[in-house]
Amino acid sequence: MRQRPGLILVLGFGGLLLLMAVAEIASLLLLNTLRQSDAQLQARFLVRNRTLEQIRSNIYLSGTYVRDSLLAPEPSGAKAQLASVEGLRRDTEAAIDSYARSIDSQEAAPFRALRAEIDAYWKVLDRTFAWSAEERNKYRYAFLYQELMPRRTTMLQIADRIEALNEESLKRGDERLGAVFERLQLGLVAMITITLLGGAALAGLTIFHILRLEGEARRRLEESVQAQASLQELSAKLVRAQEEERRRVSRELHDEVGQAFSAVLMESENLLDLEPAREVRPHLEAIRGLAEKGMNEIRNMALLLRPSMLDDFGLVPALDWQARETAKRTGMRVEVSSEVADELPEEHKTCIYRVVQEALNNCARHAQATTVQVAVQSQTGQILLSVQDDGSGFDQARIRGLGLLGMEERVRHLGGTFEIDSRPGRGTLLQVKLPLAAWNGDRRNGTSPHPAG
Amino acid sequence: MEQVRILLADDHNILRDGMRLLLERQPGFTVVGEAADGRETIELAAEHAPDVVVMDIAMPNLNGIEATRRIVDKHPGIGVVILSMHYDESYVLRSLKAGARGYLLKDALKAELIAAIRAVAEGRSFFSPKISRVLQEDYVEALGRKGGDDTYELLTDREREILQLIAEGKTNKEVASALNVSLYTVDTHRTHILQKLNLHSVPELILYAVRKGIIS
Repeated sequence: MRQRPGLILVLGFGGLLLLMAVAEIASLLLLNTLRQSDAQLQARFLVRNRTLEQIRSNIYLSGTYVRDSLLAPEPSGAKAQLASVEGLRRDTEAAIDSYARSIDSQEAAPFRALRAEIDAYWKVLDRTFAWSAEERNKYRYAFLYQELMPRRTTMLQIADRIEALNEESLKRGDERLGAVFERLQLGLVAMITITLLGGAALAGLTIFHILRLEGEARRRLEESVQAQASLQELSAKLVRAQEEERRRVSRELHDEVGQAFSAVLMESENLLDLEPAREVRPHLEAIRGLAEKGMNEIRNMALLLRPSMLDDFGLVPALDWQARETAKRTGMRVEVSSEVADELPEEHKTCIYRVVQEALNNCARHAQATTVQVAVQSQTGQILLSVQDDGSGFDQARIRGLGLLGMEERVRHLGGTFEIDSRPGRGTLLQVKLPLAAWNGDRRNGTSPHPAG
Repeated sequence: MEQVRILLADDHNILRDGMRLLLERQPGFTVVGEAADGRETIELAAEHAPDVVVMDIAMPNLNGIEATRRIVDKHPGIGVVILSMHYDESYVLRSLKAGARGYLLKDALKAELIAAIRAVAEGRSFFSPKISRVLQEDYVEALGRKGGDDTYELLTDREREILQLIAEGKTNKEVASALNVSLYTVDTHRTHILQKLNLHSVPELILYAVRKGIIS
C-alpha cells in the first residue's frame, strides 16, 4: 500500500505526458503533410492550367497561321506560315503528352475527345499543305469557314471543359484537404479533452493522496508529541517520587534510627554509671562506641540522601552546607552567593539544590577545578542559577554524560532553561533559569516546618 | 547546693527515660518535667520555670528551635541546651539565634551533658567539643582557602576580652562589672567588635568565638 500512490503518480503523469507528446508530434506531422498537399495541389492546378492554356493558344495560333498561309498571295509566304504551324504542332503534341501524364479519371473522356479532335485537325491541316495554288484559291474559303473554324471552335470548347474539370479537381482537392484538416481539428479537440480530464483526475488523485499523507503525518506528530508529553510527565513524577522517598528515608534514618542509637548510647552511659563489674565495663564501652559510630553513619547517610537543612531552613543553608562539604572533601574553593528573598516552592528548591550538587560533583570529579562560584538570584518571576568553574572544561559536542541530562530533565520539568557553556581548557559555565509564577502556591505543600533532630 | 531544675524535651520516650535516670543520679540536678513536643515544652516551661531546658530539635507540633525562641522570649532566665544529631553550623547558628546557650550532639558523653547543663544554668555558653572542633576546622579551612586576612587580628586586647565574655553568655551589665567599666563603654566595644568582624548579631558572635576556639 505504501508504494502504490507513488507508482500510480509516476505512471499517471508519465502516461499523460507521453500522450501529450504523441498527440503534438502527430498533429505537427499532419499539419506539415496538409501544407505540402495543399502546395502540391495548387502547383498541379497551375501547371495543368498553363498547359491547357498553351494548347488552346497553339490551336488558335495554328488556325491563324493556316488562314494566313491560305490567304497569302505568295506561295513562299505560305511556306513560312506552314513551318510555323509545324512548330506549333510539335509544341502542342508535347503539351498534350505532358497533360496526359497527370490526367484525372473525369477528364479522361473529354481529353480523349480533345486528342482525337486535335489529331483530326492536324490531318485536315496536312491536307491543305499538299494543295496546289489553284486548289488553294478554289477551296480556301470553304475550308476556312466550313472546316477549320468549326474544328477550332470544337477544340477550344473541349479545352474549356477540361479546364473546368481541372478547376473542379482543384476544388475537390481543397475539399479533401479541408476534410483532413477537420479531422485533425477534431483529433486535437479530443486530445486536449482527454489530456485535461486525465490531468484533472491525476491532480485530484494527487491532492487526495497528499492530503491523506498530510493527515497521517499530523496524526503521527500529535501522537509523538503526546507520547513525549506523557513520558515527560512520567519522568517528572518519577523525579518527584524519588525525591519524596529520599526525604522520607532520610528523615526516618535521622529521627528513628538515629534516636535509637542515641538511646542506646544514653543507656550504656547509665549502665556505666552504676559502676558495673570490671569485666562488663569494656563491653559497655564497646557498645557505646558502636552506638556512636552507628549514629554518625546514619547521620551522614541521611545527609547524603537529602540534607535536612533543605527542608528545615531552605535552599541557601543547604547550598552552604553542600559547598562546605564539597570543599572539605575535595579541597576546591566553593563560593556561594545568593539573593533569594522568599522561600521557594518545594520543587524549585529541590531542583536547584540537585543541579548544584551534580555540578559540584562534576567540577570535583571531571573538571579538576580549583574554584567554583555558585550564584542564585531571584528576579521578577524567575530564579537564576549559575555555576562557574575554572576547570578543564569539556567538548559539548562529544560529551553529554556527566549527569547533564538528569539536570536538564529536572529543569525542563519546571519549564526552565538549562545552558552549558564549556570548551576544553576554558572552564564551564552552567546557567539555569526557572520561571516562578506558574508554580507559585500550588506545589508548596511538600515540606512541613519540622526540622530533624 | 541549690538544685538545678531541668525540663527534658524529646519525642522519644526511651531517650527521655535514659536521660532522666542519668541526670537524677547527679547530685544537685532535679528533672522537673518531660515534654514530648514543642507546645508541651512551652507549657511546661511556663508552669515549672526550670533553670534549664534540654531540647531536641526534631519534635512534632513545633520544632525545638521555634520552641526555644518562644521560651527565651518570654522567660529570659531559662537557659536552653539544644541536644541534636546535627553538627552543621546552620543548626548551631539558628539555635543560637533562637536564644539557646548550649549546643550538644547526641553522641555527647555524660560528662559533657552535665557540664553543659551546669554552664547554662550559670548563665554561660557551652558547646560540644565535637561541635567546636568541626566549626573550628571549617573556619580554619575556609580561612586558608580564601587566603584572606584573619579579622581577629583587627581586634584590640580589650575587645578580645569583651568578645570572650559576651560569647560566654555574659550580659552587657555583667561584662561591665567584671571589667569595671561603664555599660556605655561595653556597648561601644561590642559595636566595634561586630563591625570589625563583619557580624550582625550576638549569636553570630558566639558562633564566631566557637569557631575561633575562644570558647568551647
